[in-house]
Amino acid sequence: MTFLQIRGLRKDYGIVTAVRDVNLTVERGEFMTFLGPSGSGKSTTLYILAGFENPTVGDILLNGDSLIATPSHKRNIGMVFQRYTLFPHLSVGENIAFPLKVRRLPKAEIDAKVAKMLKLVRLEGFEDRKPAQMSGGQQQRVALARALAYDPPVLLMDEPLSALDKKLREEIQHEIRRIHQETEVTILYVTHDQEEALRLSDRIAVFSRGVIDQIGTGPELYANPATRFVAEFVGDSDFVDCRVLSAQNGRADIAIGSGLTIRGVPMHGRAAAGGAAALMLRPERLSLARGSVGQGSANLAATVTDITFLGSNIHVAAAAETGEALSVRLPFGHEAASSLSRGDTVSLGFDPASAHVFSA
Amino acid sequence: MLLNFDRLGAWKWILLGITGLTAAFLILPILFIAALSFGSSQWLIFPPPGWTLKWYAMFFADPRWLEAAGTSFYIAAIVTVLSVLLGLVASFGLVRGRFIGKEGLRALFLTPMILPVVVLAVALYAFFLRIGLNGTVTGFVIAHLVVALPFSILSITNALEGFDKSIEDAAVLCGASPLEAKLRVTLPSISHGLFSAAVFSFLTSWDEVVLAIFMASPTLQTLPVKIWATLRQDLTPVIAAASTLLIVITIALMLLVALLRKGLKS
Amino acid sequence: MALLTEQEKIAAVGSIRPIRSRNFALTVPALLLLVVFFILPVVSLLLRSVMEPEPGLQNYEALLGSTTYLKIFLNTFSVSALVTAVALAIGFPVAWALAIMPPRWASIVFAVLLLSMWTNLLTRTYAWMVLLQRTGIINKTLMGLGLISEPLPLVNNLVGVTIGMTYIMLPFIILPLYGVIRKIDPAILQAAALCGATRWQALSRVLIPLAAPGMVSGALMVFVMSLGYFVTPALLGGTANMMLAELIAQFVQSLVNWGMGGAAALVLLVVTLALYAVQLKLFGTARMEGR
Repeated sequence: MTFLQIRGLRKDYGIVTAVRDVNLTVERGEFMTFLGPSGSGKSTTLYILAGFENPTVGDILLNGDSLIATPSHKRNIGMVFQRYTLFPHLSVGENIAFPLKVRRLPKAEIDAKVAKMLKLVRLEGFEDRKPAQMSGGQQQRVALARALAYDPPVLLMDEPLSALDKKLREEIQHEIRRIHQETEVTILYVTHDQEEALRLSDRIAVFSRGVIDQIGTGPELYANPATRFVAEFVGDSDFVDCRVLSAQNGRADIAIGSGLTIRGVPMHGRAAAGGAAALMLRPERLSLARGSVGQGSANLAATVTDITFLGSNIHVAAAAETGEALSVRLPFGHEAASSLSRGDTVSLGFDPASAHVFSA
Repeated sequence: MLLNFDRLGAWKWILLGITGLTAAFLILPILFIAALSFGSSQWLIFPPPGWTLKWYAMFFADPRWLEAAGTSFYIAAIVTVLSVLLGLVASFGLVRGRFIGKEGLRALFLTPMILPVVVLAVALYAFFLRIGLNGTVTGFVIAHLVVALPFSILSITNALEGFDKSIEDAAVLCGASPLEAKLRVTLPSISHGLFSAAVFSFLTSWDEVVLAIFMASPTLQTLPVKIWATLRQDLTPVIAAASTLLIVITIALMLLVALLRKGLKS
Repeated sequence: MALLTEQEKIAAVGSIRPIRSRNFALTVPALLLLVVFFILPVVSLLLRSVMEPEPGLQNYEALLGSTTYLKIFLNTFSVSALVTAVALAIGFPVAWALAIMPPRWASIVFAVLLLSMWTNLLTRTYAWMVLLQRTGIINKTLMGLGLISEPLPLVNNLVGVTIGMTYIMLPFIILPLYGVIRKIDPAILQAAALCGATRWQALSRVLIPLAAPGMVSGALMVFVMSLGYFVTPALLGGTANMMLAELIAQFVQSLVNWGMGGAAALVLLVVTLALYAVQLKLFGTARMEGR
């Protein structure tokens, strides 16, 4: 049986639809991330799971039983919020004990569990502190301990690190991974940060405008984006306008500008012959050569507009003949890059099989 | 420059001088009354020819003073409880509610604060004449509740707006029922708002004069009414003694608030 | 289908599908109290002004047609204006000093302000009755210094009311003004100095204009509060300069003339609410307190 299943979920606010057609299954112990920009429906979906919102249509099944009719406080779900939600009048220990106290567990059991949770989040000795005396990162760790104290089958996390600075964020991402491995709890994690999603998740569901565009592992999304949105949102990408000449078996032959034709590029979406489309290229998959290369091969002519040194990488910005701004990432020490300067004409080559065409 | 204390030059001393004089202007009459309450002069001559406790003795020997103080306290206590309860419930509606006319309702709840009290006093007096509530504890409580409630609603809505609802949601997800979450998490978190609502409500009722003058009867009067009535006859030092006791209570309450604020911060 | 932020969601819920009654019931007990014991009595008092002794506007004709009453209106306005002006003149430098002085000193002044505000109104008025009386310390000191030979009449007249009311109103103007000046960035005044402004120019062209909204708002508040004041004018003022609140009380208590009392109450109410509306219009919010 599937552990957690979301079926045909839809949420309307008046005439506005916040999220629709959400179908998703999550395995026990999986780390699933909802990735998308703000307003894409990812948080709404999480809030429906928590029971703070009722879906307009659809169902949520946990171990085969519907959760919809169960009120939030009986769902036995854990959650860590975007803002700090420790109970300000209770100490750290009392915060973690709170869910156990409302479940009326015996005191000895509560004490043992609190100690265990503090150890899990590595905050032993902080038991008697008040939330106001702790840093944001520490507070979120306590919130995590509190949400896990009652062994919930599912843990929801709503952008829990968005209030923290970058360094602290990475540190706690590491902690979350470790805790996920130790506890084997199923985690549904919401974020708008692609790097965070890639770092943490087993699988990622990419939300855009209220629907899920694609579900897959990080490498799958990166190598095979199903939509232009996913391609843009996960990883860096360059886009060049093109026309579809012919398409079959998921491959397309395309024309760029006046003369260039490229054959056998993986195609997403439907486009009739002659239809407008966009060619997507990854900046690190482009090769760069000085001067112009003959037509016919998968080469784009471009003019260098800027060169930025970024440590291990050199970032070259270039304008394609057809006008699009492109970026190319070269490893430090790249031969052609060393003598490159603004205004130089270059040729950007790529493997058609690693590029993608999205119908416009 | 003008907002940098150390670089104001001579202006600094002018500003400090005005501030010092104003502070003296505000504090000296209060200290003066406290001093005179121990002075032996019936005519409140300053400096007093001698020192005495007889005005306090007279205050505590007169059952009418004590009765008035007791009545004041009793009424203020009831008003405090009702004002905080009504204010708390109404504040939840005003802060968490979604209904048409919410902002208008909020403004309406605060109008007793801006309306001249004398208008309300006369209006309530007329109304109470008809339903027989003048000179009753119920009448006093209702009248004071009307003017205390805005302070209560203001304090509690402020506290509730500053409280992140996510914290209550977190408690619910932890397994507390919505009511339990409010009682165990939300109320303790807004306790400073509840406390200032209680203090303001109490002081509003305890110090209230105008409504009380109209509500009072020969058999039921509050301390301010008793002081008012006595003042209209003469300036007896017993009033100085009563006033000093009121000042002491005020300072005690202020210190209590200050201590609690400090306690909350640390 | 649309991209929705949290705010838009709330807006959508508010505008497209309003949930009419969510949590409205919670406000009902307090609302009931106000309707029955506030709105109803005030409205019925105002109604009596056109119903008693017989339907018509004769009460207003009597009130606005008589020089005795007009004098009281005029007196009410001039006392309130005088108190407001004095409170503002003292309050501005004090608020300014409070905003920039070392926090330790400021907290002492704040403690004094709060103690004064929280001390019973009658106690404060009583203190001034004692201080200002013929044999009071002020007259005695002035005579001792040889500045006057006869005690000055300081009570039961305009001087007494002005001192007593200013004493009560000062905190109400200092505290909001302090808040406004506190929010002004000192760098703005440094910029003014670098632009070549002298101290007086910086004061009159930068600091005062920046503090003006607070001054106007505080002054309006003090003025409105003063208009409806009852206790202090009744105890420190004389019969020659009676104020509107006393007139209302007198109509009802001594003369048992509900019609005239209601009419005078309406005049006070209309002026108060009109000024309150000006305040709201100018500043969006208003906090007032009247006794």
